[in-house]
Amino acid sequence: MTNTPADRQGIFTRRNLFGATAAGLAATSLGACATSGGDDEAEEVTVGEDAENPFGVDGTAPLDVVIFDGGFGNEYAVAHQAMYNEAYPDAEITHLATQAIAETQQPRFAEGKPCDVLDNSGAQQIPMDALVGDGELAELSPLLDAPSYDDPEVTVRETLRDGVLDAGTFNGEVYALNYVFSAWTIWYDAKLFRDNGWTPPTTWDEMLALCPTIQAAGIAPWTYAGQHPVYLYDMFLILAGRHGGVQVVKDIDNLVPDAWRHPSVVAAAEAMRGLGASGYLLEGSAGIDHIQSQTAFNNNEAAFLPCGSWLPNEQRSIAPEGFEYAPMGVPYLEGSVQPGLISAGGEEPFVVPKNATNLAGAYEYLRIMLSQEGAQIFGDTVQAATVVKGVELDNPAAQATDALVANPEDLFQPRFRFWYTGMDTEMRPALGQLINAETTADEFIERMQTVADETAADDTIEKFTHDE
Amino acid sequence: MRHGKYPFILSFLALPVGLYAWLVILPFAQAFQISLTDWSGSSNSFNYIGFDNYVNLFKDERFVLPALQHTGIILVVMPVVTIALGLFFAFMLNLGGRMRRGRIEGVRGARFHKIVFFFPQVLSVAIVGILWKQVYAPENFGGLITGALTAVGLPAPVNGFLADKRFVLAAVIGVLVWSAVGFYLVYFSSAIASIPRDLYEAAIIDGAGRVPMFFKITLPLLWDSVQTAWIYLSIIALDVFVLVYLMTPEQGGPDASSEVVGGVIWKYAFKYGEQAFASAIGVVLFFAALSLAVVSLRVGRRERIEF
Repeated sequence: MTNTPADRQGIFTRRNLFGATAAGLAATSLGACATSGGDDEAEEVTVGEDAENPFGVDGTAPLDVVIFDGGFGNEYAVAHQAMYNEAYPDAEITHLATQAIAETQQPRFAEGKPCDVLDNSGAQQIPMDALVGDGELAELSPLLDAPSYDDPEVTVRETLRDGVLDAGTFNGEVYALNYVFSAWTIWYDAKLFRDNGWTPPTTWDEMLALCPTIQAAGIAPWTYAGQHPVYLYDMFLILAGRHGGVQVVKDIDNLVPDAWRHPSVVAAAEAMRGLGASGYLLEGSAGIDHIQSQTAFNNNEAAFLPCGSWLPNEQRSIAPEGFEYAPMGVPYLEGSVQPGLISAGGEEPFVVPKNATNLAGAYEYLRIMLSQEGAQIFGDTVQAATVVKGVELDNPAAQATDALVANPEDLFQPRFRFWYTGMDTEMRPALGQLINAETTADEFIERMQTVADETAADDTIEKFTHDE
Repeated sequence: MRHGKYPFILSFLALPVGLYAWLVILPFAQAFQISLTDWSGSSNSFNYIGFDNYVNLFKDERFVLPALQHTGIILVVMPVVTIALGLFFAFMLNLGGRMRRGRIEGVRGARFHKIVFFFPQVLSVAIVGILWKQVYAPENFGGLITGALTAVGLPAPVNGFLADKRFVLAAVIGVLVWSAVGFYLVYFSSAIASIPRDLYEAAIIDGAGRVPMFFKITLPLLWDSVQTAWIYLSIIALDVFVLVYLMTPEQGGPDASSEVVGGVIWKYAFKYGEQAFASAIGVVLFFAALSLAVVSLRVGRRERIEF
């Protein structure tokens, strides 16, 4: 952070807002406007001795929870709130379930009166880099170091799966609790493959060898959500990372000079381009959205689809009878040094605003979410894994994903798209053009290297790095 | 009671003017103020950085410059095409038919056509966007135009019109024109209706065809209406964002080839957390719209023809 909260205060007072001319008008009306509101010195939460109530929650203080009402719904949150009320029956909980996160919550941040717990997710999430950069979020170490809900001998941190805090960690400080454990994989219909006698490929060459056979059956080998090339991110980056080792993709995130020109990244770019150049994409893929690509996949119009581990649950009621969602890692290139690498970790960031009224209650709410019971509630209602260890899921696709992410050494989440919006906006169209063979691999690499260099050279952009 | 006049008037004006100042002028003023800061939009603290946002704005080749270019194209093409089509259809529907019993009438079924042309105006923009997204879709995914083109043996873009950098802007303009033309058809029709018929009858007796009739009588007498339509359409053109948001990949893609100013403001303000930069673009857009209105009113000023 460039500024401490202290020297930011006072820059903006009602008095110097408009100067003398508009002062009369401003004084009466600014209370309702975007850039007003006082910045009280935020309180800190510390971990006390009492394992039952480590944050010293005031049982009568109200709690204000905002949940992103997307693929996971908000039923689980209502159950978590019931757990909170069980412990603090006098606490009045305000529960807002919405898809319009930025629309409803950004003004509250600007006013200095944010909610207590925010599930900052979905297409309308408030940019995390802006929230962190502005110092609007509370650091979550007190929560992680507190005794866990189920066993006072074990800290909350110790109940979590490996690597799940990375996505919410900004330069060593944890600002978001990513509650859902998910992985980016390649999906195929196990039944289709079995019926046709196809073996799911493990290497890129096996995949390429299988493609003509798939086409002969009247099926396109690949499709993807062309309107949202973000679905290709992890396929491409993990392909490069598997070939050259995780450091290759870490270097990209860390803006290391010439990171994009690494031979493994070039090889991955050439491989991706090859899919389009060989006609292995379902015709029209570049023009469709994720719903259309998933529908085409459900209808066996395409054999492979890159997507996240939420897919089978999302398609539960839509997928045709007999369709067997099965995940695999992206087929690795010849000579890969880390063929098990996979993009997996926490998603669905829950944050606690620094200026939250009931900071202690917010920490306690998150602690409840991370309890065995809280996590199991989530697992049971939405059939997705949480970041808490030891939650049982009966969904076969979820179990198969679990097997892919078994080795903690191989878990890595590419991060630059969350850290640097400028690189993200360049990467999306560039990747879309690459897979459709509209650009060469070299043009793609140079385009990305240029924006990476610009980002690295721009002092106004706050920099983040992976912890070593 | 003459001395009581001003307090009386003021008491009526106070509320509307106050509301206007509070809800319109103040936010505008605040946008100016914000554009001089580095405010992210999700904090209540910021620093004043002078005119840096304005300087950077014209260096932003990723979004702002393409957006200015595209909005410029829309601003020129959309009103021209819409007004031309609106005038043509209005003329045909009112005066384009045969003479019957000494009266000039529109083409057969004019009333029916008028209603059909007006349909798009009744649909909400969201529906229009979703509808046309499907019309422009790739052939494999039920695209109407791509399918029709292929059916008659013409080449069509494989990925549909909206995913193709060459066609996406034209596709958006096409929808804008389609949805606006009906309204201006009705608007010009009512203006034509107020032109005395004897002018046309005299022209016909003098042997004038439809084309001279249009350019010598209809257009000059409709000039005021055309000018008004021009300003309205220009404002729509500057404002075009919803269709881009609904229809195009990545709300302005592919690769920024349908980016418009309104969309870029939205992206910076709400997706990238750069509210101050977005405000600066908004201020530029504000002045562009203002000068556009002034210029078109000045340039278009002609002598009124009394009839």
